[in-house]
Amino acid sequence: MIAYLRDVWAGFLSVLYAMRVTLRHLFTPAVTVQYPTVRRTLPLRSLNRHVLTVDLGTGKLKCTACDACAKACPTRCIALVGAGKGKDRHPVEFVIDHNLCMYCNLCVEACPFDAITMWTGNFEIGAFNRMGLVFDQTALSADRFYPTPDTPALIPAAAAPAPAVAAPAAGK
Amino acid sequence: MSILEGRFEPGVVTTSIDLIFNWARRNSPWPVTFGLACCAIEMMATGAARFDMDRFGAGVFRPSPRQSDVMIVAGTVTEKMAPRIKTLYEQMADPKWVIAMGACAISGGPFYWDAYHVVKGVDRIIPVDVYVPGCPPRPEALLFGVLKLQEKIAQETIAKKKLPAVTVPESLPAGAPA
Repeated sequence: MIAYLRDVWAGFLSVLYAMRVTLRHLFTPAVTVQYPTVRRTLPLRSLNRHVLTVDLGTGKLKCTACDACAKACPTRCIALVGAGKGKDRHPVEFVIDHNLCMYCNLCVEACPFDAITMWTGNFEIGAFNRMGLVFDQTALSADRFYPTPDTPALIPAAAAPAPAVAAPAAGK
Repeated sequence: MSILEGRFEPGVVTTSIDLIFNWARRNSPWPVTFGLACCAIEMMATGAARFDMDRFGAGVFRPSPRQSDVMIVAGTVTEKMAPRIKTLYEQMADPKWVIAMGACAISGGPFYWDAYHVVKGVDRIIPVDVYVPGCPPRPEALLFGVLKLQEKIAQETIAKKKLPAVTVPESLPAGAPA
């Protein structure tokens, strides 16, 4: 009889203990990132939609239409047409089909002129049809400075992403 | 999408009903518990606490297609799985929507050119509403796809839509089959 009552009391205490854990979670800040309004800072090297980088001096695309990225692409999702000779060579059509792209970064590694980058943080490219995921040269050209594998030193906020990414983890 | 769509004359009643229907449907797109490949891991991460699809009402993963509204095709659609996906889609109750998640589901992705065993895009077997590219897409990208789907649901109407006027060319010979 005593043993039975002791078991009941132990069970009651264990429930209280469990409720203490639950209560503690009630007062800790939520780990949820409120996505459409709050955006998590992505790691610098996260691979997202491509951008054709622009030479900051001349304002022209760095791309020389050498076809190295298209040849390196395992899914053959890059198609480009170049024009001009020598130093004037530039792409006239540069199409990346994001229906096929598997975000492997091989095009960026193959590029000898640092003309294409995936370190853009632009992942919001969902579409209602497949043609909405085919990006042409106008859509791909950079509208501002994007970091590339050759220019991590130029990034002003190179050190900043690390604490910003670590902050939500520390909060839990 | 639903059987009521495009059946009634447009008016005050139909637009009010649209408002209620779309509000209810937009805020409770329950997905099927259904993952095909590595994208499903990312889908699970989207459902978990950090990203929490439940904020959009889309986190209630139902174990039966008959209770779900949205099918998130997350992963490679193999030829072997394709008939099952079609069956699951047909078992879902109207109205139903499909999100193709990841390059494999959209077009076959890495398997598009040289593979014998992958369906080159899930839209070859079932209609797709929103395409979410990525390999796999980030959880935020899937949430973006869900938001796009909500936009699409909000535009649905049970009123008849005005179709563009069809003009018969003059050169068509008289008595030609329509």
